[in-house]
Amino acid sequence: MQRRHLLLAAGATLALPTVRSLAAPPKGHVIIVGGGMAGSTLAKFLRLWDAGIDVTLIDRNPQYVSNIMSSLVLTGQRNLAQLTFGYERLRSRGATVLTDDVAAVDPVTARVTLASGAVLQGDRVVLAPGIAFEPPPGRYDDQRMPHAWQAGDQTALLAQQLAAMPAGGTVALTIPPTPYRCPPGPYERACLLADWLRLNKPGSKLLVLDANPDFVTEKDNFSSAFFGLYADIVEYRTNVVIESVDADSMTLFTDSGPVQADVINLIPRHRAGRIVTDTGLATANGGRFAPVDVLSYASTAAPLVHLIGDASATTQPKAGHIANQEAKVCADALVRLFNGQAPDPMPVTNSACFSTITMSQASWLTAVYQYDAATRAMAAVPDASGASRGWSAGLFRDMDTWFGSLMADSFG
Amino acid sequence: MLAPRLIALAVTLGVCAASTAQTAVPSGRLLASNCFQCHGTNGQGPGFEKLSDKSSREIFKELREMKADDDDDLMAHHARGYTTAQLRALSRYLARQR
Repeated sequence: MQRRHLLLAAGATLALPTVRSLAAPPKGHVIIVGGGMAGSTLAKFLRLWDAGIDVTLIDRNPQYVSNIMSSLVLTGQRNLAQLTFGYERLRSRGATVLTDDVAAVDPVTARVTLASGAVLQGDRVVLAPGIAFEPPPGRYDDQRMPHAWQAGDQTALLAQQLAAMPAGGTVALTIPPTPYRCPPGPYERACLLADWLRLNKPGSKLLVLDANPDFVTEKDNFSSAFFGLYADIVEYRTNVVIESVDADSMTLFTDSGPVQADVINLIPRHRAGRIVTDTGLATANGGRFAPVDVLSYASTAAPLVHLIGDASATTQPKAGHIANQEAKVCADALVRLFNGQAPDPMPVTNSACFSTITMSQASWLTAVYQYDAATRAMAAVPDASGASRGWSAGLFRDMDTWFGSLMADSFG
Repeated sequence: MLAPRLIALAVTLGVCAASTAQTAVPSGRLLASNCFQCHGTNGQGPGFEKLSDKSSREIFKELREMKADDDDDLMAHHARGYTTAQLRALSRYLARQR
């Protein structure tokens, strides 16, 4: 870390300036909270686009485990090591990466207090903590009913539970109300699990309990898969309200009666990561996510704080590809800011992703968003939004290419 | 003692630091960054077709054809999301990244 940014640390005496701080004063210091798709991309592009900006990135984990592709860990087609990305390249680009928890962010002064006691002073603070879960009422235990929606231990746990289930068992997968992370994600997981169950656990059923009134996205492909390809395995229920749960008896109490299953993949309702709610910035979507100005991703309530990725409330989907692009828009706006310019008045963002429809075939989904000055929001271009007609093995290979490229652009 | 020498160096570098303060933002860079997720940072790979080896004319021509055609593939959808002026700007930026 550039020591001049450290105001106070446990046991620290007077900070010594470094060679760089004497040679060329930085144009600004950006503190990034969260090193996922959004935070890492921001750190990379700030350093790439203007090496005169100091960047400190803080994450509680020393490495990032990708949520994208993590459903393939459940079927044994990928392992977590293959989905793990470090911060070495960001460090070599000159960013300071700290493994620590953030205790508090002062949105007025852009001061960040770490769990270790250190206090950092930024010119801007960018919050990219991703999502947190709202536990359902009742006797909930995420070890008995894993979400596996933040990849890592939870993914390994769900994989173990699926592997241990006898043939002819019942798996339940719950889909939270929108907005949630990765709109096609739960449906692609359901497809993948149905294919895996057919092969490995004959006679098993997969109950998909959707809180939403219909498929949230890519309806043509997912409905063909659910009602055609997997008609003998998948039972799809919509508008399901989970009123409470009981982890001991593995029961979900829904508004249309109790549901018991051998394995329950319960994906709870989302909200922005804790630091966003603690800072008082989550005022959209019923107090769950943080509203931003999409020209710079500055908070609409605290101009020195920006929010990118899943924690922000925008018209764009919460997904890794779009988080990467939001980070670039934010990076560009901050570079312009520290060089005395206004943000680009017409930013464009895009999203592309692939969904596993079977264990060897995939579909795609895409969208492009242009800034709409009238609504001050990103508006999807109708002609540019769409999904593949069907799925194929070729698109499964394209999915690998896309994933490798996306992660290299975000962490490389 | 290192510190006094560093301070002396800083005084000498002070002028340089002031003169390098402003960084120009290249035209088309933010637009072109939409391509990086699938074609690599600055279009240099890894990923799908490498873009940084192509001329601005080649990239723009391909994108304009995709935008005009009624194809159903992923890139055709993407091309339709940008105005012709935006496609031209991002093509120019990518061609400078060899």
